Amino acid sequence: MGLTIKEVILISLLAYVYSLDRHSTQIAGKITILYGALAGLILGDFKQGLEIGATLQLMSLGVANLGGASMPDYPTAAIISATIAITSGKGMAAGMAIGLPVGMLGMNFDVLIKLINSAIAKRAQNFAHKKQFGKMTRTIPLATIIYPLESTIPVFIAIVFGKSVVQAILNFMPQWFTVGLNVAGGMLPAVGFAMLLVYMPLKKYGYWLIVGFVATAYLKMPVLGVALLGAAAAIHLYLSLSSKNKVMANTSNNVGNLSEEDMEDE
Amino acid sequence: MSDHKLTKKDILRTALRHYLGVTTFNYDTGIAPTIVWELFPALRKIYANDDDLVLSLDNHFRYYNCNPWLSPLITGATLAMEEKDGVKSIEAVQNLKTGLMGPLSGIGDTIIWVMMPTIFGAIAGSMGKKGNPLGMWLFLAVFLICFFLRPYLYFVGYQTGTNLIAKLGQKLDAFTDAVSVLGIMVIGSIVSSTVNVQTGWAFQTGGVKITLQSILDQICPSLLPAILVAVLYYMLKKKVKMATLILAVIVIAMLGAAIGLFKA
Repeated sequence: MGLTIKEVILISLLAYVYSLDRHSTQIAGKITILYGALAGLILGDFKQGLEIGATLQLMSLGVANLGGASMPDYPTAAIISATIAITSGKGMAAGMAIGLPVGMLGMNFDVLIKLINSAIAKRAQNFAHKKQFGKMTRTIPLATIIYPLESTIPVFIAIVFGKSVVQAILNFMPQWFTVGLNVAGGMLPAVGFAMLLVYMPLKKYGYWLIVGFVATAYLKMPVLGVALLGAAAAIHLYLSLSSKNKVMANTSNNVGNLSEEDMEDE
Repeated sequence: MSDHKLTKKDILRTALRHYLGVTTFNYDTGIAPTIVWELFPALRKIYANDDDLVLSLDNHFRYYNCNPWLSPLITGATLAMEEKDGVKSIEAVQNLKTGLMGPLSGIGDTIIWVMMPTIFGAIAGSMGKKGNPLGMWLFLAVFLICFFLRPYLYFVGYQTGTNLIAKLGQKLDAFTDAVSVLGIMVIGSIVSSTVNVQTGWAFQTGGVKITLQSILDQICPSLLPAILVAVLYYMLKKKVKMATLILAVIVIAMLGAAIGLFKA
């Protein structure tokens, strides 16, 4: 089963909308699973798209690009993986074999786009100096239009040429390699979690790890349940911290008042 | 008051124009072009004189990079300053921008780009793997609500003006700590539910077949995932690069699969 021209256009458009939103309105840029599911919906297999998106969502946990740093583009990987998996009929592993590397390659495009943006910014500033404000405000959004190409172009290339590449790879992949890929898929979220923990105030609140772990490992509680428990703990902590702040502020005020009165007495 | 040149509509317009977001990000000036673009109509109203306008724009063309969700607090405040004092405020505007962009990014990035996607991503991912899209819609709904609430921060920034730092300070600390506890608990949970390490080896003792996995599960369920995360955590603390660790995990998984120690 191949892709029709209409499907190629729709999937590429999905990639464009994804990247546009991720960098401007920032609604669904982190919802990798949504893009797997939407790609599935376009190709008539919502469920498989959802499951592939879910797998990639779990892989992406804890991996964040902060302060403009570049990182693997998981939603792009989800769009490609779902498309390849559904159209080739070879399942998730085949899709991800193409989707993940391309998502990683996307990082290089990111660098290129940011360099183009430098040129756009300089041009806009020159217009400002010349007091051509209309030209300035028209120049800046060029960046907004160009930026989403960083996802659209890799997706287009991958879905048009991906299937034959997948066939070639699958034909020569040994058994242990596919098993190893699946094992790695199970282990890789650990890297993201470890990274997350580095950012967290573990010295102060690390013991809550035990509560979450026990709830799920021993009691088999789903994550949503643990999140609700965590919300209760968070509310409690917030209330006690903010009341402590108030008390401290009040006592320092009182001390201030007392010393002033003392001064007057003397 | 005659010095109020901006209406509510102007602020809202600026806030919506801020949705140009990080598409203009570049290595020289960060997201400065976005700030220039969003502020331009308001600044045009404030500065009747073209030369003053260029001075102000030039200032906003300087490097600026802040979490785009919280940035409106800063530029809302600086807009109020420029409205009140004009070009005399430019230095103070620049100081406020560079002074606050770091701390606000720190808090915003941690909560918005790390905690929220981790918590809702874990829920959406674990439900989605079983074919249930409910968690995904929940994830989307939360971010959609935020999308509609975010312009409000521009008004907060505009109204608090220079008092911003004092007003935010202590509350934000308590809030960050509280959210951290929620995040840490969820990580504890998803280490068990999401990281998957299964051993394949089995032993024969007196005709009874015992698998390595069943022994491990008796010691503690999800023992290997917990150990894996702990080891990776200490490696990261020792400044080992993330890319190195990802590669190491893949190699170990491949080797383990080849000798049958791990199974999918």
